[in-house]
Amino acid sequence: MSLLDALPTPQVSWRQWRPNRVLFVLFSAMLAAVWLLDVVSVAPNRIVSGEGVGLIEAMGWMGASLVSAVILTLLALSLQPSRQGYQVVLVGVSLLLLLLPVGLMVASHRLISSDTPMARLNMGMAYWLMLSLLLLGWIELRLRLALSRRRLLLMLAGVTVVWGLCVMLGLESLALGQEFRARDDEFWRALHQHVTLVSASVAISIVLGLSLTMLMRRYTRCQKIAFGVLNFLQTIPSIALFGLMLGPLAWLAAKWPLLSQLGFSGIGWAPALLALVAYSLLPMVRNTYIALEQVSPETLEAARGMGMRNRQRFIQVRLPLALPVLLEGIRITTVQAIGLTAVAALIGAGGLGAFIFQGLGQAAMDMVLLGALPILILALIADAGLGALADILRPNDSVQSGDSP
Amino acid sequence: MIELAHVTKRFGDVAAVDDISLHIPKGTFCALVGTSGCGKSTTLRMINRLIEHSDGDIILDGQPVAAYDPVKLRRRIGYVIQHTGLFPHWTVARNIGLVPRLLKWSSADIQAKVEELMTLLGLPVGEFATKYPHQLSGGQAQRVGVARALAADPDILLMDEPFGALDPITREKLQDELSRLQARLHKTVVFVTHDMDEALRLADHLVVMRDGRIVQQGSPLSLLQHPNDSFVESLLGGLERGLKQAALTRIKDHMSPMGPTLPAHSRIPAAFSLRQALSMMLRDHTDRLTVVDQHDVPVGELTLRKIVKEAQPEQGKVRES
Repeated sequence: MSLLDALPTPQVSWRQWRPNRVLFVLFSAMLAAVWLLDVVSVAPNRIVSGEGVGLIEAMGWMGASLVSAVILTLLALSLQPSRQGYQVVLVGVSLLLLLLPVGLMVASHRLISSDTPMARLNMGMAYWLMLSLLLLGWIELRLRLALSRRRLLLMLAGVTVVWGLCVMLGLESLALGQEFRARDDEFWRALHQHVTLVSASVAISIVLGLSLTMLMRRYTRCQKIAFGVLNFLQTIPSIALFGLMLGPLAWLAAKWPLLSQLGFSGIGWAPALLALVAYSLLPMVRNTYIALEQVSPETLEAARGMGMRNRQRFIQVRLPLALPVLLEGIRITTVQAIGLTAVAALIGAGGLGAFIFQGLGQAAMDMVLLGALPILILALIADAGLGALADILRPNDSVQSGDSP
Repeated sequence: MIELAHVTKRFGDVAAVDDISLHIPKGTFCALVGTSGCGKSTTLRMINRLIEHSDGDIILDGQPVAAYDPVKLRRRIGYVIQHTGLFPHWTVARNIGLVPRLLKWSSADIQAKVEELMTLLGLPVGEFATKYPHQLSGGQAQRVGVARALAADPDILLMDEPFGALDPITREKLQDELSRLQARLHKTVVFVTHDMDEALRLADHLVVMRDGRIVQQGSPLSLLQHPNDSFVESLLGGLERGLKQAALTRIKDHMSPMGPTLPAHSRIPAAFSLRQALSMMLRDHTDRLTVVDQHDVPVGELTLRKIVKEAQPEQGKVRES
């Protein structure tokens, strides 16, 4: 070690500013997208594919410059971010998210005349990109500002409501809205089916998963076999699993008339529910098992030394301390079930997946979106809601910020 | 009262505790000392049946522990462990009230007891009752641990290296508080530690263990004066032993009445130890101190010659033998 190492190194800070590279890239991409790609597309009817329309044509010079100005401001703010700066960026990003449907309204007003009632407005490439880039920006801002999941959930809910209102009230010509109005009864029924299937399968797998975990903790030798079976179930492709159950279930329904009266058959909700439960068991059991095992042995030993009986120890100490991790398992299971239920439409279980497959069959992308978007939103809501619940139940982490003992 | 007679604990073929006998009268502070793995913790945990002993008898208040329902036995024995084992999802007040709640006390009684104990252990109720364990410092958490152990007024307190994870200053403070508490509550305490100074400072009865056996037991002074073998001697600090013994001896037991000469300039309270007196002599370059009472009135004097000659009369004999 030389003497020079001990001296303080002179720090020349000729470059004071450190841009947030993530936000900078996101906003630059946004600016490029709105100017270079199609903002919306217009089709004279449902079958014909639409024709792309650029920013100026869709929004006019006024709208185009307004949008560009907002994005440029955000871009400038991301060059020299401070805490206040991030908060302004957050407001800006949220504002853009809220203004997106308004932009669609403007475009619809400018591009679609009242004498072509069949004409449909579609969101273009730039719109979708804008939407996903804004959401990515939100994630980055959440990390920078250390926002809680609860606040993010509230903001997400707000944006969703505004979008929903705009689509329902002011956007008659938006393809998605038209698709929805054409079959709104069907939509609500599908949504209901979807949610019912998901909640039933999650509820069953919670009960089954918990009991299985208890059994595995009691008979430790069965652990490997049980995890092996669950792992195997997880590896079967979902469509194959649905198909595999057709035969046995149909046979059962034929044998027991009571079952078929209950709606139990080779296709429909019964095989879907069974498959969903089978898939949900592995994440459920694995998380429950880990949740119960990760409770500190010292705490449990202290509980024993204080004179708590086994049942008291389990209910008052182990279970509450396992709950946050256990809820993580329920969250993963639920999100996974929401996605898988879409596939269940293939065997006639209904749900939002029906729109996706029908839309794919008719090459009607709007209809696919009518199924896919709500599934996405459902998954986001379940994810954020259960995550927030786990955060609330974990008093340690929410109070303690950063420094662990 | 706790009585261990020829107690053995075997894990497979290995005897973790090998034929130990121990008599702990009511109100005694007994420290089990030894290197790690010597079986001291196992011995402690056999008393409240967290570990079942293999052979011999453990008798608690005239009844073998095996005859008690283990859960009820544990509820009447206070238990403190090194990492506190506080429940992270419960407040301080709820943690302390654990055993009374298990014993189905009325909630008013529980609350009164919790507040009494928090005051006793220097945890202001208003400030700490609603805090969670992770909001406490190590010392505060262990005070809560001790309060929890005392909540149901147990006669017996088992402490398993309770201050082992604390910094030296906090540890010393808690040791002082524990000895003050013990002077007031007169519990029968079994205290496991590997820190000999801690044991010497707190214990009435010292038990040195090695490889699952008791090597020597007796009062701290008797062990310091007559260590059985080199292991006990090294555990007691080898050459430092003289000073450790001096630290355990009060001045007032060794001072002489005021002589005819003028009182010495340096004054020391009679309640201090010989070790502190020696330290003061070294500091003040003197071989004579005036001993004063708590009102700073001279009551006697202490000379270096007297400390060396009388305070450790046995020392010479041990050396010779």
